[in-house]
Amino acid sequence: MLFYYMDIGWRSLRRTPLVSILMVCAIAIGIGITMTSLSVYHMMSMDPIPAKSDRLFAVQLNTMDDNTDWWSDDNMPFQLTFKDAMHLHKLKLNDRDENIDIRKTAMLVAQFAVHMNNDEMAPFLAMTRIAGREFFPMFEREFVYGSSWSQEQENNAEAVIVINQELNERLFGGSNSVGKEIYLDDTPFRIVGVMQQWDIHTKFYDVNNGPFDSPEPIFMPITLVEPNQIDTAGNTNGWKYGDINSWEDFLQSENFWLQFWVELDNKQETQRFEDYLLAYLTEEATKGRFEREVPSFSVRDVNNWLDYRGVVSEDNKVLVGLSFLFLAVCLANILGLLLGKFLRRAPEVGVRRALGASKRQVFLQHLVEVSILGLLGGSLGIAIAQLGLWGVRTTSGNYQALATMDLGMLLAAPAIAIVSCIIAGLYPAWLVCKTQPAIYLKTQ
Amino acid sequence: MLEIKPILRSLMRSKAGAAMLIFQIIITTAIVSNAAFIINDRMNYLSQETGYPEDEIFSFSVMTVGEVDNLSTLLEGTEQLIRDIPGVINANLINNVPVSGGGSASGFGSQPASERGPDTRAAYFTADENIFETLGVTISEGRNFRSDEVIVGSTMNDVPQVVIVSKGFADTHFPEGNGLGQTIYFGNAPMQIIGIVDKMKGPWLKDSAVDSVVVMPNARASMRQKFIVRTEADQRDIIMRDIESVLLEESNKRVVTYMRSMDAAKANYNASDILMVRMMTVIICVIVLVTALGIFGMTVFNISKRTKQIGTRRALGARKSAILRYFLVENTIICIVSAAASYASSLFLGEYMMSEFSLPALDNSYIVVTIVCVFAISLLSVLFPALKAANIAPSIATRSI
Repeated sequence: MLFYYMDIGWRSLRRTPLVSILMVCAIAIGIGITMTSLSVYHMMSMDPIPAKSDRLFAVQLNTMDDNTDWWSDDNMPFQLTFKDAMHLHKLKLNDRDENIDIRKTAMLVAQFAVHMNNDEMAPFLAMTRIAGREFFPMFEREFVYGSSWSQEQENNAEAVIVINQELNERLFGGSNSVGKEIYLDDTPFRIVGVMQQWDIHTKFYDVNNGPFDSPEPIFMPITLVEPNQIDTAGNTNGWKYGDINSWEDFLQSENFWLQFWVELDNKQETQRFEDYLLAYLTEEATKGRFEREVPSFSVRDVNNWLDYRGVVSEDNKVLVGLSFLFLAVCLANILGLLLGKFLRRAPEVGVRRALGASKRQVFLQHLVEVSILGLLGGSLGIAIAQLGLWGVRTTSGNYQALATMDLGMLLAAPAIAIVSCIIAGLYPAWLVCKTQPAIYLKTQ
Repeated sequence: MLEIKPILRSLMRSKAGAAMLIFQIIITTAIVSNAAFIINDRMNYLSQETGYPEDEIFSFSVMTVGEVDNLSTLLEGTEQLIRDIPGVINANLINNVPVSGGGSASGFGSQPASERGPDTRAAYFTADENIFETLGVTISEGRNFRSDEVIVGSTMNDVPQVVIVSKGFADTHFPEGNGLGQTIYFGNAPMQIIGIVDKMKGPWLKDSAVDSVVVMPNARASMRQKFIVRTEADQRDIIMRDIESVLLEESNKRVVTYMRSMDAAKANYNASDILMVRMMTVIICVIVLVTALGIFGMTVFNISKRTKQIGTRRALGARKSAILRYFLVENTIICIVSAAASYASSLFLGEYMMSEFSLPALDNSYIVVTIVCVFAISLLSVLFPALKAANIAPSIATRSI
């Protein structure tokens, strides 16, 4: 029956080519525009780590005096001071068995010139994530060769690094490079692991400088920051004047420049961790480090964190909203055209009704016809959206990875097209299936 | 005369079709007026004068690898090397590149920071006396740095004694306009204002204090040193292409990166606004097209439905102009009915966007102009099919279908 309806629908569309083309174009343009902005939005707002996004938390501590203005929504600094971050990093919440302790890591980003200390390869710059070894299990990182550095190596601040597959390809042609040395600035580092390529659109663990940049290709133990005097390549924000004359002064200063993440698997762990933060901040306040009436901190999971940091720009939300309004206009357009088209066919429907077609069958037949419209428009719409996304990509390199359609969006396009066409077709189809056969049989 | 009554009656008979047209016009007006407003807002922002000759300036970073005896001497040599390239007007070491989206800012107060007085936030650049020529800005009051005031070498504790500020900073911090000669503090270090630059922007164009800039005479080189170069406009691209090999020839223990022209850096910083302008322009064009086609399609349809009726009217003595007028008046009625609702919906959408997002309030004139334009476009879309309808032969009425 469906095929028969499709056949009738197709014939009917061909009978009025101009109107059919107008309708297909309207829906195609509507879908094209909507899918362009929706695809970018989808890529920006996609959960970067779906399996764990509700168990990974970004930590903020308010270690400023009361009445210090800060530009975040809740007046809380986005990053932590070195002393707080390292205190929490080394903290043992469960001192009986450290295997069941919670995973957490302080981190920051730095930049180094990578070279092999020979004349064959020109040095190049690479971003480096400096973190604890728990970074890898926390963020579900697997290794192609080797593994992360050991706890002992981290404690001893050994010059070891993990590199990603891409860098391993570039430096060693993809072979097992564990145990080899590369130079970062002037220090040789030994590779202990090659990490699987990490393809995420949002660098959610550090959205300070370019939230849509790729993850760093090199990872290094955070304990090296102090002895090697590694400065951040990210933001450093201060609120309080302090005399800083040495690296030691800088590490002890109230400047914010580190990020901190913690994995909390259940309510009890969250409670325990928050209780600890409260106690810690209260104690720091009594030491006179800052003047606060009420200690304040924040622990946000991945999606809340991205939302709080406004990773999806407002412009993008405006675009998605306007695009859907635009789609509504296209639908109103189609509705008006369908209304005219279907009603003109009332005599034909009258005959079909007289020959025994039920209202239901007539109704369904017309809905099948509009679905064909939707499918055609949706397919053409994908082509238009590709054109639109290409236009977005040419605007700036930042959109290279974001302005693409994944499989979900490709399937969503015809689905949205068909559903919206059916919505537009409901009223005209209902109107036409109410046709009284008698009237048309009489005049013919 | 205008046959409004029969038109209204006929419209009432096909309410749904008319309602869809009205709905379409209302939403179209709301989208177009708001989109046009956003475009204008962003265009104003994008086309603002930075005060710099953007097409003459480019910047890059030199990262020195390995041990160097005297970095400042090395990089000053490099600086001189660049200045000697034909076509280069001037070049300078700088801590951060203006309008690039990356920089440093601090509070500058009238008292030392340890006394916690009120301060004014300003972006700061550190460079030597060549920076003003390199950036193409002029010192309108006071004087430039003397070369003996510029700090070179690597001692951390030397601080500049003098400073040149932008007029934006001077007017904010000294509202009476007597900034020249006053002392401001960077941390606890006092600096005397010896010059004021009329127009100068900081690194972040979106900053509320973008015009507040302080330039300190400090040419201390760093292992990751930024360079800024001004050339003749028509030679910039060639120099940008060739400069890396010149720099590497001088020393191969370095990485040259972030080679960017000032306009490219600015476009990159403003990418989201440029994208917004483009998307909004496309939406406006396409929505106008879709609405026009929709009105066109509806009219063609109505006419083909009423062919016989029109033929009869013509046979009964109606002139061609009367037929044409009928459709134009019908469209005008629909537009007038939509106008009030269009106005309200545009206003509502504008208010909503203002409350949800950080967009400025929609200006009423945009709505009015949009309504008039949509009216004109809808009349145009009706005109063509209506002219065709006017040509329907009266004889058609005598034929049976």
